[in-house]
Amino acid sequence: MMMSEIAKDRMARSVRKRGSVSSLNGREFRQKELHGNTKNSRNTVSFTDEPSQQDNASRLTVQMENTYQLGPTKHFPAVIVNHILKDVLTNYLQEEQYEPELCRQMTKTISEVIKTQVKDLMIPRYKLIVIVHIGQLKSQSILIGSRCLWDPKSDTFSSYVFRNSSLFALASVYAVYFE
Amino acid sequence: MEEYHRHCEEVGFSADEAHNIVKECIDGVLGGEDYNQNNINQWTASIVEQSLTHLVKLGKAYKYIVTCAVVQRSAYGFHTASSCFWDTTSDGTCTVRWENRTMNFFFNVFAIAIVL
Repeated sequence: MMMSEIAKDRMARSVRKRGSVSSLNGREFRQKELHGNTKNSRNTVSFTDEPSQQDNASRLTVQMENTYQLGPTKHFPAVIVNHILKDVLTNYLQEEQYEPELCRQMTKTISEVIKTQVKDLMIPRYKLIVIVHIGQLKSQSILIGSRCLWDPKSDTFSSYVFRNSSLFALASVYAVYFE
Repeated sequence: MEEYHRHCEEVGFSADEAHNIVKECIDGVLGGEDYNQNNINQWTASIVEQSLTHLVKLGKAYKYIVTCAVVQRSAYGFHTASSCFWDTTSDGTCTVRWENRTMNFFFNVFAIAIVL
């Protein structure tokens, strides 16, 4: 399966080279119809505790035309996103007490809500990752950290911590420019 | 004009490989350590950085985001959720949970493809 994909990849790349000389603007998508799936923004909500298994059979390689852009035309507004995080967390959690079932649902809901609101900002060519942690406040020690390997000129992140009497919540949004 | 050949021909993010890499890094750094307020910062930093370097050595054209949460082990409630907007065919994620007597570790690796 892998070998045929590699062969098709090389062929498609050589075909694309010929194609890119003629068209200078616009993006062309050339899809390999391996399973008849088309690439669109699928919104799947999946709650898994195990490391995700990528389905090798349904992997499509999308060939994109060159945009000749060196960087993003519109940068990701970290400040606006910060406000979004603050609003969402405060609205959802201001009055809540820590309860296991409630907080389990809350994390999933909040991460979806934040993602939709940031998507609505319509920043082009940015991929988003939203992470929400909710925990009990019980004079425990907790440390949350992250490291990223990306292009700091175009990629950024934004985060906000919310606290009330019985719980804390940390929401982070990572925005990665799609080159 | 020459054809650009990627030195790694594999397409897609392998969650298993990432899982193994992270597990090795954690075992290497933490081994049998107990929760220690002073060292915890150092440990998380070194684990995260080591896993990043190993992931880069895989040689794939990906941007990586590695996040880590450490909690002291006791009667303590903690929830994590993540939501991503990306290309599901080329990007992927991997979550690793590791625990010992005194602490719980939660690791997330997000890999986002660069189209060359």
